[in-house]
Amino acid sequence: MDLRLPSKVLEHILSFVDSNEDRNSVSLVCKSWFETERRTRKRVIVRNCYAVTPEAVARRFPEMRSLTLKGKPHFADYNLVPDGWGGYAWPWIEAMAAKCPSLEELRLKRMVVTDECLEKIAASFKDFKVLVLTSCEGFSTDGLAAIAVACSNLRELELRECIVEDLGGDWLSYFPETLTSLVSLDFSCLDSEVKLSDLERLVSRSPNLKSLKLNRAVSLDALGSLLRLAPQLVELGTGSFSDKLDQEAVSKLSQAFSEMKELKSLSGLWDVLPEYIPLLYSVCPGLTSLNLSYATVQMPDLVELLTRCSNLQKLWVMDLIEDKGLQVVASSCKELRELRVFPSGAEGLNDTNVAMTEQGLVSVSEGCPNLESVLYFCVQFTNAAMVTIARNRPNLKCFRLCVMEPFAPDHKTQKPLDEGFKAIAERCKDLQRLSVSGLLTDKAFEYIGTHGKKLRMLSIAFAGDSDLMLHHLLSGCESLNKLEIRDCPFGDTALLENAAKLETMRSLWMSSCCVSFGACKLLSQKMPKLNVEVIDEHPLETRPDSSPVERIYIYRTLAGPRLDMPEFVWTIQKNPEIGVSHLAIK
Amino acid sequence: MENSNSYSPYSSSSVDSTKPSPSESSVNLSLSLTFPSTSSQRETSQDWPPIKPRLRDTLKSLRLRQRGYNTALFVKVYMEGVPIGRKLDLSTFSGYKSLLENLSHMFDTSVISGGTRDRKHHVLTYQDKDGDWMMVGDIPWDMFLETVRRLKITRPERC
Repeated sequence: MDLRLPSKVLEHILSFVDSNEDRNSVSLVCKSWFETERRTRKRVIVRNCYAVTPEAVARRFPEMRSLTLKGKPHFADYNLVPDGWGGYAWPWIEAMAAKCPSLEELRLKRMVVTDECLEKIAASFKDFKVLVLTSCEGFSTDGLAAIAVACSNLRELELRECIVEDLGGDWLSYFPETLTSLVSLDFSCLDSEVKLSDLERLVSRSPNLKSLKLNRAVSLDALGSLLRLAPQLVELGTGSFSDKLDQEAVSKLSQAFSEMKELKSLSGLWDVLPEYIPLLYSVCPGLTSLNLSYATVQMPDLVELLTRCSNLQKLWVMDLIEDKGLQVVASSCKELRELRVFPSGAEGLNDTNVAMTEQGLVSVSEGCPNLESVLYFCVQFTNAAMVTIARNRPNLKCFRLCVMEPFAPDHKTQKPLDEGFKAIAERCKDLQRLSVSGLLTDKAFEYIGTHGKKLRMLSIAFAGDSDLMLHHLLSGCESLNKLEIRDCPFGDTALLENAAKLETMRSLWMSSCCVSFGACKLLSQKMPKLNVEVIDEHPLETRPDSSPVERIYIYRTLAGPRLDMPEFVWTIQKNPEIGVSHLAIK
Repeated sequence: MENSNSYSPYSSSSVDSTKPSPSESSVNLSLSLTFPSTSSQRETSQDWPPIKPRLRDTLKSLRLRQRGYNTALFVKVYMEGVPIGRKLDLSTFSGYKSLLENLSHMFDTSVISGGTRDRKHHVLTYQDKDGDWMMVGDIPWDMFLETVRRLKITRPERC
């Protein structure tokens, strides 16, 4: 009896399977399921653009409508990856233009996107709808104009923290009068002023506009008229919030805000003056997301705002909020899920900012039962605080603590922060992402290796005593997917002993550690399915095996060595050395 | 395994090979960790603490503005023995070298930062935000800009 499902039936069933993780499992069942799945997958996500070739992806998923790509490693966000390393979008756009012309959505993160890329997108994909560029660079406002003028069904254009060559605000004027489909526009990272009348006309003819994030150059006055044209906005990023307005303008703006019944997310608020904070009171109760990372609001003014945000789930704020302000968050924002506190440097990096300490985070962990994601910059911390936080919030999924003073011990006991991170790793059984800092010994990593079974991403800076640290992590953390390390004193032994582990991970980054060139060569030889890239901007004239490398980036790949490496990237395939000297492994 | 690479934080010229103590560490580390970059947008930026470029830029101008200088950074400069001072916009200089060159030109004398106690040269000192008078040149330029309040060119014997 033929028990095989007719492919039409399987196709229909698969149309309900949305998650790519599930679809990946489906592909592994048998050949016919693989075939049916690949022909029906619409949304493709490639989390390392060098793990697979664009042609292979286009060939496998001919019905692709949405492509998400990530390029540079995460530490590129902090200037640790030299310019020119790679992450070029062009080969992908070229391949998709040829094989998947029905592509509608492109989401790129940490990639180099040129004006040619944008022009190619505009020319090749007739039904292009969504372009989201996060932390990308390499293009100018001319490229944006090309997208604006050609994509007649454009729904989303979002530039999130991109580095754009800003040639002026004309690009916005290129949206044709016939474009009425806009749902989301984010140009907050641009500097130049756009023509207000063009922006107003664009907003008025976009009835589906739900998200609008302006740049700093849009004045407070202009904001008022824009809000009156788009009271239906769900997400708003304001421009500069510091112009002096007369009484009439202020009351008009207040009125405009009170008309915004759907608003859930608020950001921007550059340089917001304290006297304008009350303008926001009417939208506060509806807010689920508030991003104050550019708002230099001091604590007393923040408190008034935050007490009104009873439905807040996501809060990004500067440490100007102080412990007192975080106490208010703890008592007012009971729905809080994600908290990020950024350094304002108000007192200088070297001084102790007594107004915000570990106590602030402890309060929030006590008061907010749904808190699951934390990013906290603080000058110093204590083990006791981390133990309390872990006890309060075993449901934490993401815990990123950045003690800004490298090697800072527990400021009350002067001990390393080992016990604190142990508590976090032990209690928070679902912890998926962890960043550690402060004074740490190998013990901390032994604890993390023992308990961090669900840990997928780990970031380490200025820590540990020896190779043991790396060994504990690579041998203990079963789910480890991404590991990034800077300025830690180890390398070779643990790396070579745990080489097989690297094939189970997406990537490993190490910079300013003590990995030797010889070990890199040996690793490359041992593990052909990995790309082992040595990134040295200042290579020595002769490279003896014992010389430490500046940075290594190791990732698994099906594509083999990449063809677009710059001078300063070494791989064994690019510059094969004759013979690898024998490296004694202790 | 020898650590002969000068970019290791554990062997930068201003730190000895033992682990830096917490109070020195942030100064020393910022010296050894900034890799020169070809991108003009990244030339003077550091990589610690780990915050994204846009936030880093915003904070830099925030700090300067908090001190009352609207991204320009005017400080008073006095030459010892001369009652009338000058005003200088420090934000126009790329570093200590160009500052010293400019001062030497402005005061028509040879001005150096600390180091050699040479009777021929005037030595540049600065008053920091704690009110103390310090030798110019000890800390990274970016940090100096944040803490400097005024400058004084002293006669060498006085130091």
